[in-house]
Amino acid sequence: MRRITCLVVMAMVFAMIFSPSAFSARKTVIKIGINAPLTGDNPKVGESSKHAALLWLEDIEKAGGLEVGGKKYEVELVIEDNEYKAESAVKANTKMITQDDVLLIVGPQSSSQAVPAGEVANKYKTTMISPWSTNPNTTMDRPYVFRGCFLDPFQGPVVANFITDEFGFKKAAVLYDVAADYPKGLAEVFKGAWEKKHGAGSITAFESFTTKDTDFSSQLTKIVKSGADVLFVPQYYSEVPLIVNQAKDLGWKGPIVGSDSWGSGPTFELCGEACKGLFFSTHYAAAGAKGATKAFIDRYTSSFGYTPNDVGALTWDALQLAQKAIQNAGKISGRIGKDRTAVRDALAKIKNFAGITGNMTFTEEGDPIKCAVIVKFNDKGETEFFKSSCP
Amino acid sequence: MEALTDLVQYILQNLINALQRGSFYAVISIGYSMVYGVLMLFNFAHGDIFMVGTYIGFGIATLFLALFAGFLPGPLIFVATVVVTMFLASWIGVFVEVAGYRPLRSAPRASAAITGLMIGIIFETGILIMLGATRLNFPKLMEPISYNIWGIYFTNIKVMIIIISLLLMIALHTFIQKTKWGMAMRAMSFDFLAVPLMGVSINIIAPLTFAIGAGLASVAGILYGQAYPILDPYMGVILGWKAFVAAILGGRGSIKGAALAGYLLGFIEIFVATVFPSTLRDLIAYSIILLILTYRPRGFFGMEHSTKLRL
Amino acid sequence: MEFVRKFKNSFSNVPMLGWFLGILCAVLIEYYFGYDYISYYLGLPKIPVLFGALIVLKNPIMIPGVIGYDLIVYVIPILLVAKVSTFFTNPLAAAMEKMPLWLSALIHLILFYGILHLWAGINDYRVMVVKLTLISIILTVSINVINGYQGEFSCSHPGFMAIGAYVSSILTLLFFVNDKTFGEPILSASLGPWLFPIALLAGGLAASLGSLLVAIPSFRTRGDYLAIISLAFMFIVKSAVENIQFIGGARGMGGQPDYAPLPIIFIWTMLCIWIIHNFVTSIMGKALNAVRDDEAASESMTVKTRKTKMTAFMFGAFWAGIAGGLFAHVLAYINPGMFSINRLAEILAMVYFGGLNSIIGSIVGAVSINVLGEALRPLELFKWIIIPLILIFVMIFRPYGLISFKEINAKRLLRAKHKREQGA
Repeated sequence: MRRITCLVVMAMVFAMIFSPSAFSARKTVIKIGINAPLTGDNPKVGESSKHAALLWLEDIEKAGGLEVGGKKYEVELVIEDNEYKAESAVKANTKMITQDDVLLIVGPQSSSQAVPAGEVANKYKTTMISPWSTNPNTTMDRPYVFRGCFLDPFQGPVVANFITDEFGFKKAAVLYDVAADYPKGLAEVFKGAWEKKHGAGSITAFESFTTKDTDFSSQLTKIVKSGADVLFVPQYYSEVPLIVNQAKDLGWKGPIVGSDSWGSGPTFELCGEACKGLFFSTHYAAAGAKGATKAFIDRYTSSFGYTPNDVGALTWDALQLAQKAIQNAGKISGRIGKDRTAVRDALAKIKNFAGITGNMTFTEEGDPIKCAVIVKFNDKGETEFFKSSCP
Repeated sequence: MEALTDLVQYILQNLINALQRGSFYAVISIGYSMVYGVLMLFNFAHGDIFMVGTYIGFGIATLFLALFAGFLPGPLIFVATVVVTMFLASWIGVFVEVAGYRPLRSAPRASAAITGLMIGIIFETGILIMLGATRLNFPKLMEPISYNIWGIYFTNIKVMIIIISLLLMIALHTFIQKTKWGMAMRAMSFDFLAVPLMGVSINIIAPLTFAIGAGLASVAGILYGQAYPILDPYMGVILGWKAFVAAILGGRGSIKGAALAGYLLGFIEIFVATVFPSTLRDLIAYSIILLILTYRPRGFFGMEHSTKLRL
Repeated sequence: MEFVRKFKNSFSNVPMLGWFLGILCAVLIEYYFGYDYISYYLGLPKIPVLFGALIVLKNPIMIPGVIGYDLIVYVIPILLVAKVSTFFTNPLAAAMEKMPLWLSALIHLILFYGILHLWAGINDYRVMVVKLTLISIILTVSINVINGYQGEFSCSHPGFMAIGAYVSSILTLLFFVNDKTFGEPILSASLGPWLFPIALLAGGLAASLGSLLVAIPSFRTRGDYLAIISLAFMFIVKSAVENIQFIGGARGMGGQPDYAPLPIIFIWTMLCIWIIHNFVTSIMGKALNAVRDDEAASESMTVKTRKTKMTAFMFGAFWAGIAGGLFAHVLAYINPGMFSINRLAEILAMVYFGGLNSIIGSIVGAVSINVLGEALRPLELFKWIIIPLILIFVMIFRPYGLISFKEINAKRLLRAKHKREQGA
């Protein structure tokens, strides 16, 4: 009996070893890594990046592969979850670079993950494009790290100038999340820009809360009492509706102005009436878009059932940039180190790339020179183009 | 005089803000405190039970609004939503008890705390998988009306939250003090080893405790959905840990204590942010809790018996 | 079952040294033939990094190839070499038995490290996973002092970790690195790796000083109040760091030099295990257990309960600080959000999963949670259903954790296994 069992086990092992998957030669496949927060505090960001990437892959597959130097290569996406945690983003990047041999990485989206993950990408000389990270440190002194959006030091003054020109207000208040990288950075930049324009003391209230808070009543009471004309809220779509509605309930009459993070999700659907007519600065305006932008929006909407947010659009652009860089690199040698450097050099050379979120040219640091758009929620809840501001 | 009126208005305004916030903490931490009192367990799944309760409330409210919005009066829909949600959510509580805590009844209670934590993670991820990453908007069960009386702003929802929370707490207190079941629970919290020998089955009392806690949490969830109508699968985590603080701060097995500690937590959070720069809110708020515990090491109404770890 | 027993029996005369030799052979085979030959002929895209778990979950077609790879590279060589080499490993082990225990343990450790280094060196992802796992081991073993040996429920470990991480990062950035906030380095950068232990120790000491903030109020009474005091402490540390602008606040602090390569972390981990082992088996450790089991009785037996508890608490915090410092230098970036509820849940899961009151249990807990977390990566969302389920089942069937109240005897583990001992 035992002998039979032994034989059967042996036979199975041999069958497995010599199964069809064995002895197949290695193909050169272009692998693109996506480092996105599919779980954790902000899964919407991860979902949008994934969706945009899947759309892109669909295009490539329809064309039968990515054509580089006259030869078509199969493309594979490696999507890794970074759990919205820095160390997980670092691990994911290390894994994709050293294990999966990705040619290029798109992501992570948020600065708190993009800053440490960029360190890894740069160390291994692998190009990384963070579509949405606005922290200057992400790309600073890192030749292999690029981004797809403008920076906080640019966006802050844009908003401050817009408020001054449009409303003529002198006193502003800020409400932001002290525990999160992006809102805190932008709030401080805005404060600096505003005070430079209107003098010290023109920020009447600089109030904060902590990530996951839902009650802002004491901060808003303070803000209402401070006599500010306008409230600047650099927060994500999950907090903005609460802040806007609570402010209204607490007697806030002035306008509330936001930043590009308002475009991270369906802000208007969650917010309702109270958000009508509010302005925020962002990367692109979904309503009234034309050409490639419109085509992308329509496709995305029909595939996934909702209008793409900024993250989706920026990820799409980052992938287009990546595609262009790979094609510009001329050829895939199969030696991953060499190919990665070639892609990086090609990417840095791209000039006036026409993305769906605007034209891009990279600076020395790997930051695009790009316009910011001020949009407005119109009566239908669409983000309507209002004004654009270019560096 | 002007300045004084201003100050009074300001304080009253924040008092209302704090009452609303405190109501949530109080109702949620009562559920926590009951489990803690009766079974001496840290129910780390409670925050996520609250989250699931809120999602159930969301489902029921959406359904009822779609079915009855035209011909039933608003308050009736609200009551129906609350009752059905409470019923369904209490089964979640029973499920957590039976699946996560009952097999570990003789184990060290820290192990049970870990299963609770894990069940919580399963709930969060499950909801994320089922409903997707986009946050949901809790439907309005009543039209919000803003009032402005003597410079103090409040809405009918705020008033309703404060009143319903108080009513719930009074009802629970009566249940615990006056009924046979309540007496059994109190007995159990006094000595969970001897009381089962007196014919009170722990296998009935424990699920009942969890069910009541989950039911309360789900009502809190519906109210929460009215006040802060954005649902997210991870919304219960922080609330759960805060309820944990409030439940222990209130003293073991004390419903009164937990409610009081819940309100206190709300007041500390609101008033610290009012008086001090709000960036320092957490720092100061938790330092105050640390100080309170240094001088009242047994919490507010803690019973004077050993709280030794069963290990 | 008969088969399994026989199988086990036929390997019972293999000493630890023999197993090490077998693993060494396996690793060498992987190192020299893994990529070019074995994985190539099995149709695998690369060397399977975590024994093929990642590939299998992503691409089930590869299952046969992965099984074949694991058999050819790991299972067969290890078993074969371990068995065949008994003729000289047993006498060798017997010879080593005559040495002092510390020396033979040291030799074994060096051998083990060599194997680990070779195995991890194949791929930097493995190095990263091993590094973070070793840091988790320090964390888990150190929280076991408080939550296991002392029997409290402390939630402040992420806070201690944060203190250690920030203090040591500030020191290295200030002294050895040209940094934006701290300017030119005070000392020459070449001294950095040598003085790094001092920075780490400073981080650990700062953490243990911080632990006084929890220890002093909480030991007026015992029990669950420590849980919330320590939780409050964790939030206080997080909020304080967020409010200190010069270390970056919520935006975090980056650019730590790479002073924590694998050997350094390995040495620190082994030091930690050794020192904590000595601590818990010392008189102080026995006193700690006595305090846990009955405070009043131990007080009457002349145990200074307050002092004992304080020391243990500060000791646990010290190692958490060291772990934090290493963590900061591995990631080269820290922000206060890393040291919050999520980290707490992870640490608690590791220590209770592994088992209380046991160092080996803590190691098992830390390694399994870390490896599971990495191996199930391709499942994306479902990873967070599977891992909690595994933990729940383990807790239900082994309520005290996988290995608790048990310790491995190093002497027994390392000794020679002659034929005569078979079946004994």
